[in-house]
Amino acid sequence: MARHYGPYGGAYVPETLVPALTELERTWKSARKDPEFQRELRRLSRTLGGRPTPLYFARNLTRRAGGAEIWLKREDLLHTGAHKFNNALGQGLLARRMGKPRLIAETGAGQHGVATAMIGAALGLETEVYMGSVDIERQRPNVERMRLLGARVIPVTSGSRTLKDAINAALRDWITNVRTTHYLLGSAVGPYPFPDIVADFQSVIGREIRRQSTRAFGRLPDLAVACVGGGSNAIGTFRPLLSTSVELLGVEAGGPAGSRGAASLSSGRPGILHGSLSYVLQDPDGQIAETESISAGLDYPGVGPEHAWLKDSGRVRYRAVHDADALKAFHWLAEDEGILPALEPAHAIFAAVGEARRRPAREHVVVTLSGRGDKDLSVVLRGSH
Amino acid sequence: MDLTEALREAREHARPAVVPYLMVDRRRAGRIAPTVSAFRDAGATALELGFPFSDPVADGPVLEAAAARALRNGTRWSDLLSACRQASRRLPTAVMTYANPVWRQGLPEAMGELAAAGATGLIVPDLSLEESADWRKAARRAGIALVLLAAPGIPFERLDRIARASRGFLYLVGRYGTTGATVAGTTVDLAPVVRRARAGSPSLPILIGFGIRDRKSVARALAAGADGTVVATALEELRNRGAPPAILARWLRKLIEVPRPHVG
Repeated sequence: MARHYGPYGGAYVPETLVPALTELERTWKSARKDPEFQRELRRLSRTLGGRPTPLYFARNLTRRAGGAEIWLKREDLLHTGAHKFNNALGQGLLARRMGKPRLIAETGAGQHGVATAMIGAALGLETEVYMGSVDIERQRPNVERMRLLGARVIPVTSGSRTLKDAINAALRDWITNVRTTHYLLGSAVGPYPFPDIVADFQSVIGREIRRQSTRAFGRLPDLAVACVGGGSNAIGTFRPLLSTSVELLGVEAGGPAGSRGAASLSSGRPGILHGSLSYVLQDPDGQIAETESISAGLDYPGVGPEHAWLKDSGRVRYRAVHDADALKAFHWLAEDEGILPALEPAHAIFAAVGEARRRPAREHVVVTLSGRGDKDLSVVLRGSH
Repeated sequence: MDLTEALREAREHARPAVVPYLMVDRRRAGRIAPTVSAFRDAGATALELGFPFSDPVADGPVLEAAAARALRNGTRWSDLLSACRQASRRLPTAVMTYANPVWRQGLPEAMGELAAAGATGLIVPDLSLEESADWRKAARRAGIALVLLAAPGIPFERLDRIARASRGFLYLVGRYGTTGATVAGTTVDLAPVVRRARAGSPSLPILIGFGIRDRKSVARALAAGADGTVVATALEELRNRGAPPAILARWLRKLIEVPRPHVG
């Protein structure tokens, strides 16, 4: 359990939140060692979530790339349609263990909001989700889903009205209601212990990749690829592979061509946002920059602090993919494999196809398909006409 | 006089301290000098000079809007320094801003520039004790009092450590909630917290902020044993309604005149 990753991470927060962060850390540490908690986590992952998710050989996409084999880690098949389930379930159980009757969450694409609404319903916890009004507009189906699951969706109209501002609003709510409320933060960002807890609950992805790839093609992949906004599916994919020789590639949102999009690792510099020190898109005065991306889930000016350290240490490579290329990859996967990916992992698919093309046929590339694309149909259809 | 001396002196004379807040805004640059002069003439002990940040998570809607407006008006770090030079000639001045604008300048550079502009204190609401070591070192070298914050619900052992590390004064957050008196939030009895901090660090002044908006809230803070209060949102609301410095000063004076309760 690390408070810092190299110089990154930490907990830069208003003092009012410190007792809650301490309680969360303590609860999580005891839960990790509690066989009863772990059993419950595994049971619900299986019976409610549908774990383990399969590792799928994308034969046609491989043919398109004309190089290494491309395999998909199918987190899109998880209950509620994305990897967000893993963390929402884990933290939901922690909230129950702490006796907190109310959950709040932020959401960008709506996937984390839906997962939190689902776990709130399943565990009988009141749930409120903050969502930027821009994102409410572009991810309408997920807004309806959250409401049907019994959560209240609170529009955020300040700042850029996207994920960053939803996190601000959730933090303000938490400062006000900290005694009764657990903030179920959805990405590997925020103050310690959040980045570590989220990475821990998401690491099930990488553990399954290790096991399944050995079973499917007799060894670990040569390369693992995942998209990075805040970076939770990526850190979940990478962490269990850090100690191996598997090459790792994180793919950020490059936004429209000619912009720096939302690529904090590729274009930002170290700074303090939402409670931790990491790479941040900012101006020379330290004001946080507005970001732009076709995918609401990657549209964030910061990134998890562990990624900042993995970049500096050279263990993981990061690159950005533009909107148009992500859209292209969306259609490839739809037409080649009959799978509609979310726009977030479509960025990773694009990069993975490029990587596979440069590699020999005997190599294996695993891409984490972090979510499914139903929520993005309106954006995609607009983009194609 | 610097921030620490001013607050100590107020305390020695049993005069409740009132520290008004003013956000730097390039469009309102001309109003800094007259406003701070009026605050001084009304009897303010010191000034909290705010530098806007794009993501002010400890602030309620009023100060959040003020920061957004100041940034839209093109307010830069250099505007803070020039405002600081004007303000600190009139009142001991502590700068209040979030961690990133300071961090981005570089800690020694930022502290050096603030000190050269006359600031004698720095308040960073999202800087926790755990991350503050480098900040305290840079502040000490520059001659800036780095003010740390404590909040309701704080374990006493942690309060002791924060009070020991804080310079200038201890900023006690008066409620569960963000800044601003009209948003949701719960006021709590801070008397035990003040007593404990006082016992561990007897010479450190203690000011209460967040939710201070009228004579009643000032009286409550003083009754809890605090040496004074920081008042921000209520003043900003008055400024938003177009109140000139004289009106702000008259309003502030009413808070300053709240008597310290008799403690036996």
